[in-house]
Amino acid sequence: MKSILVAICALFLAASAHAQKEQPLPKDLPAYGPQNPLQAPDVKTVKLENGLTVWLVSRPGFPKVAFSISVDGGLAADPSDRPGLSELFAKVLGQGTTNRSAKQIAEEIQAAGGDLSILCTRDRTSVTTNVLSSKTDAALSVLADVLENASFPESEVAVAKKNASDKLRQNEAQPSFQANRALARVMFPGNPYSVVSPTQESLAKMTAGDLRGEFARRFRPDHAVLVVVGDFETAKMTAAIQAKLGGWKAPSTPAVAAAPRPSAAPAHSIYFIARPNSVQSTLVFAAFGPLRGDADYEATVVANAIYGGIFSSRLTLNIREDKGYTYSPFAIVQTLKSAGLVRTQADVRNAVTGASFNEITYEMNRLATTDPTDEELGKAKRFLLGIEAIRLQSSQALAGELAGLWGDGLTPDEIGNYGKKIAGVSTADADSAAQKYFPASRMTIVAVGEEKVLRDSLAPFGLPIQAAP
Amino acid sequence: MKLFLRVTCVLALLIAAGGVGAQVWKPPTSMKKLTNGLRVVVSEDHSAPTFGLCISYGIGFRLEPEGRTGFAHLFEHMMFEGTPVAPKGVFDRVIEGGGGFNNGDTRYDFTEYIESGPVSTLEPVLWLEADRMKTLDFSVKNLDNQRNVVEEEVRVNVMNQPYGSFEWLDLPEKAFDKYPNSHNFYGDFKDLDAARIADVQKFYEQYYAPNNAVLAIVGDVKPDEIFAMVEKYFAGVHPRPTPPHPDVSEVPQAAERRGEQTDKLARIPALAVGYRMPPRTSPDAIVGAVTGDLLLNGEASILYQALVKDKQVAVSVSGGDNWPLGNAFEYDGPTLMTSFILYPPNVTENQVVTAYDEVISALATKGPSREQLERVAAKMRSDWYDQLEIPVNRASALSHAVLIEGNFDSVYETPERVAKVTPEQVRDFAAKYLVAKNRTIINRVPALNENGAAPSGGAQ
Repeated sequence: MKSILVAICALFLAASAHAQKEQPLPKDLPAYGPQNPLQAPDVKTVKLENGLTVWLVSRPGFPKVAFSISVDGGLAADPSDRPGLSELFAKVLGQGTTNRSAKQIAEEIQAAGGDLSILCTRDRTSVTTNVLSSKTDAALSVLADVLENASFPESEVAVAKKNASDKLRQNEAQPSFQANRALARVMFPGNPYSVVSPTQESLAKMTAGDLRGEFARRFRPDHAVLVVVGDFETAKMTAAIQAKLGGWKAPSTPAVAAAPRPSAAPAHSIYFIARPNSVQSTLVFAAFGPLRGDADYEATVVANAIYGGIFSSRLTLNIREDKGYTYSPFAIVQTLKSAGLVRTQADVRNAVTGASFNEITYEMNRLATTDPTDEELGKAKRFLLGIEAIRLQSSQALAGELAGLWGDGLTPDEIGNYGKKIAGVSTADADSAAQKYFPASRMTIVAVGEEKVLRDSLAPFGLPIQAAP
Repeated sequence: MKLFLRVTCVLALLIAAGGVGAQVWKPPTSMKKLTNGLRVVVSEDHSAPTFGLCISYGIGFRLEPEGRTGFAHLFEHMMFEGTPVAPKGVFDRVIEGGGGFNNGDTRYDFTEYIESGPVSTLEPVLWLEADRMKTLDFSVKNLDNQRNVVEEEVRVNVMNQPYGSFEWLDLPEKAFDKYPNSHNFYGDFKDLDAARIADVQKFYEQYYAPNNAVLAIVGDVKPDEIFAMVEKYFAGVHPRPTPPHPDVSEVPQAAERRGEQTDKLARIPALAVGYRMPPRTSPDAIVGAVTGDLLLNGEASILYQALVKDKQVAVSVSGGDNWPLGNAFEYDGPTLMTSFILYPPNVTENQVVTAYDEVISALATKGPSREQLERVAAKMRSDWYDQLEIPVNRASALSHAVLIEGNFDSVYETPERVAKVTPEQVRDFAAKYLVAKNRTIINRVPALNENGAAPSGGAQ
């Protein structure tokens, strides 16, 4: 089959034969076959009279069904005097309705073959489960009950608060949690995106009334999507959803507003978190990047893959496969609804903290100042397209992806569009995104580790060093 | 072909009624053996134009040499360091440049290498897998590099983390007595540092032979074409004798074992409980798997409900049979049913163990209800199918089963076997295996109190 990707494949193989930097591939290695383009799933869209958006992907055969419900409002929507309320909210939402106890909910979902997972990101709250297709009706009944009638029993709130407090202590022992929390504070000062978890003080203040208030505000059919992927007949599933959720009422109160876009870029500085007894330094570099719907989003994703987003990227080849400074460096393009980040992270042993910092910034600047080779560009694009097809094979992953697109104000077509846009990224596009987003001088740095190690190792770079807020 | 459409036809998938309204799912799967002993399993799945591949070798950390703790895993890294004809970096470039990914994983009794990608990438990947089954580029420089990488891996997953993975690293070491079952599987740094390229060569010669491996391929493929392709690339790999499998069985435990650890990084205490499980071939093994899920899987599990919700002596509970190093069937020697419990600083170890014992003792006398077991069976079926949905994960399950059991029957029959377990069997299992003299408990407490000061008497 002829396609854009076949052309890219041919280009890649031709280029690699003449590549200057890369060694030639083994002479007997068989060539790739023709690659199929990334295709969008066949999504049937239904809108109930109460405003609920329903996206259905019928994939008969594999006997399971994944449900993903997403509503507007997450950590960034929490009341300003209750930072991190969403974390407690997610813990208690599934712990009782006006019809079912927490234990009944857990057992009914277990009998359907699932777990009830509830998660608040900064922009959204999602409720998901993945059950045997023969138990779809039972699962849908529990889901509908939670969505419409969650009751936040006082006793469950009390248990959850106590556990959340202990869990926060446990989280604070982890360098990745400390880095994430500090990064949000330094990247988004004064913006609701600055909060990623509750504090002990805010937890202590939270009440069942706070949670019920958020429930009434967020859980409304006219600002929600229900995605269902798996082994079902579309007409029957539509009827079941209509029967179970058609009576869900939309309130006339205002819906949750999106977080404001962050204004000023943060300082090119180093913020440290002293963590005694650390044997590694956790280094995080971040700068503002594109939003999911921006014209240069895909070019940025391609540039990031070349730089550090895949195993055979420059950064991993340098600080892992050549120098052995770290096990799992990574670079990602992270998008929130109203903000985007390009972000690099590596945990490195104390002795090579400075050396790692040096190599990471070197690779950022190399990306920003030199063109990628044709092999690098072709490899990154083929990887991104192939990996997307692999990732979305899972019903759960596809349901989650679609719910995320809805949350970003995009349509299911975006999956196919993403494939086309990645395939269309040129050297100039990738280079332009690299220049715009990746220069090391744009980065804000968060470092977690032994304070003396961090101060001594990072002082030579001449940046302001201060304790993280 | 539509990428996201799963095609239902008699040949592609078989769904039949079985048990009490249970759904049975069994995709077509077949196996062949090459003359060099390599076993090859192929399972068709035309739902997407992709493939998943797993090649497992019958060597895990259990049988790594004494004085070389962590070596099976260090060696796994060396499999990505190239060959004389495909030097370091080529494999990664080819699989990623083809739109896929690769990885490796070391467990008790096998080491697996996985790839997944567009089906257009399968043939070069098979060529590369065959290539690294012939010989490696035994490079001192690359060994030094990967030694550093592995030591960073141990730092990031163990030494720089609260709890340091003690529930799967330290617990078996204390619960068992023979070196194969009772050593540091990630590796003491002195042993990792002592590893030489001669060790790498010898290990490769001994264990990385076609007759000690199972290759499984799942995806948008035609079995005849795949068997022919595998024959073409792998038939020329010479079989080699593998060392006889030593007796790794343990003398039955005589008394409960207790350990106490302090943790410089943790902020709240944790407890790990491990019960020795029956051998994989015992009829009790399937009952152990069900009991593990009944006790430990999810919010409806008995221990979660009792310890976290009712008694409120725990913050979280997780675990299971052979957890977390594979599913409840992927072992070929002594293993544990492990519970990993975080608990609040104002609760004592004794309170947690007392509450835990009440749960176990009720199970061992009354057993679960039939309805409870039906729910657990549904959950296990559902989770099991999840494991088989994605081609590369199904390839892993098939490859491990054939390597350990000689056939892949269990991959498709486990949900039926689980559904047949009775409340009486679970009760008797608990009474026989979940007893104090068959268990090991390690309690791990923060070395620093909440204000960051060392409590008196705290020692590492």
